[in-house]
Amino acid sequence: MQSGLAVKATRVGIVVALFAIWEMLSRTGIVNPRLLPSASDTLVTLGDLLQRASVQKDLAVTATEVVTAFALAVPVGALIGFLIAENKYFSDVVKPLLFFAFSIPKSIFLPMFILMFGVGFAQKVGFGFFSTIFIVIMSTTTAVESVKVEHLTVARSYGATPMQTAFRVYLPSMLPVLLEALRISMIFNLTGVILAEMYASRDGIGHQIATWGENFQMKQLLAGVLMVAAIAIAFNELVRWVETRCSHWRT
Amino acid sequence: MQPLANITPLKPAGAIEVRNVGQIFEMKTQTVVALEDVSLDIKPGRFVVLVGPSGCGKSTLLMMMAGLREQTSGTITISGVPIPKPDPNRVGVVFQEASLFPWLTAEENVEFPLALRGVPKSDRRAKAQDALKLVGLDGFGKRHPHELSGGMKQRVSIARGLVQDPPVLLMDEPFAALDEQTRMTMGDELLRIWAATGKTVVFVTHSLTEAVYLADEVIVMSPRPGRIVDHLQVTLPRPRTYEMLSGDAFGVLRDRIWRHIRKSA
Repeated sequence: MQSGLAVKATRVGIVVALFAIWEMLSRTGIVNPRLLPSASDTLVTLGDLLQRASVQKDLAVTATEVVTAFALAVPVGALIGFLIAENKYFSDVVKPLLFFAFSIPKSIFLPMFILMFGVGFAQKVGFGFFSTIFIVIMSTTTAVESVKVEHLTVARSYGATPMQTAFRVYLPSMLPVLLEALRISMIFNLTGVILAEMYASRDGIGHQIATWGENFQMKQLLAGVLMVAAIAIAFNELVRWVETRCSHWRT
Repeated sequence: MQPLANITPLKPAGAIEVRNVGQIFEMKTQTVVALEDVSLDIKPGRFVVLVGPSGCGKSTLLMMMAGLREQTSGTITISGVPIPKPDPNRVGVVFQEASLFPWLTAEENVEFPLALRGVPKSDRRAKAQDALKLVGLDGFGKRHPHELSGGMKQRVSIARGLVQDPPVLLMDEPFAALDEQTRMTMGDELLRIWAATGKTVVFVTHSLTEAVYLADEVIVMSPRPGRIVDHLQVTLPRPRTYEMLSGDAFGVLRDRIWRHIRKSA
């Protein structure tokens, strides 16, 4: 318990120290403050930006794109993954191909998405979907494979229907792996959408960050980075919290 | 209960009849005879142990009695009725290990067979409590499997097998993963439960000592092809005690089984 507390304190200490070093580097002029505005200035800017209607709108646009892409990619990917895992032949054929597809950096396809969908909402959602779906498919096949044959036999020996087996054995068996997949997919999804916004867009927080960078507005740029980082970490930690609550299922 | 209601059983509840059962696996290059012409009669309330080396088909035979696997030839009846698919009203099955659902508590695991048939929650809970009490786990219902020892987990498995009160309990090497002391204790516990419930028990094991210690009858099987090579009556008095293990009668029986197994191994 005490060591757990010590670990947590050290962790907070490291974050505080990083911000302190940042502040110090900027304040003392070791790094040009115009290149690296101080942490305190950046945080103040962050506060201002969050009040601004245009920034709120950008955040809303990005959030809509991220949620839409995620809401499409996860069920579609999960369904495909499930079908692949359940069919031995199909699985043997398709799995290496999935690994091939997964290994290709998705960003090289971005220009094609722009040609196909323009620079609006559809392109962001499309690219977010594309960035996410492979990891969802692969994770789902892993999740299905994590279902123990013994558990399926038990269900069968007590006369479970296919529906009961799906909801009472498959789903709970897969849940820990699926939650982890959800978390990692979101990282891919956020990256995809924000990259698409930075590359070519009219709105969205990624577009704003790119513009601030181009205009050398370092305070705003860094504040934008903190904003996106905080959102990403918050989602990640939320799912991780749920994960730890059912971690003993894995045993 | 329903499947039996409108059929007049040829045999009383809990009787097991195996008639000329064969099992053949067709592989690409060869044909494996897993079981050849196995016949067996088990009277209700008997404790029967199937023993033999790996590949003798003892687990396969047990899975057929559970309706989890179909034989190539021959017939198997439980309480006088064939068992083409699992029927939890007639047969409860206890598996080797790790067969409890880790996401359910002990009592939820025991309730699982009842939940599948839509038994109301309160009835379910009451029956699970009774079953847990029977296996000596009163008060452990709220624990998850990872909070239970290996022996306790197998007690939960037994409770799950008994919760629907089937006349037959089939056990597939249930104590194989336990350490020696726990295994002995669980053997005594199982005999106590068996005596209290009067179930027909068919128990598969590798252990000769366990076989003789627990059984009314020991069926010795040998591999390639899987068949019955001996059928022993264990006449040692009950309750069985630890002291019997070193007695002459015990040794004679165990030696007889060992000679069969040594020949086929």
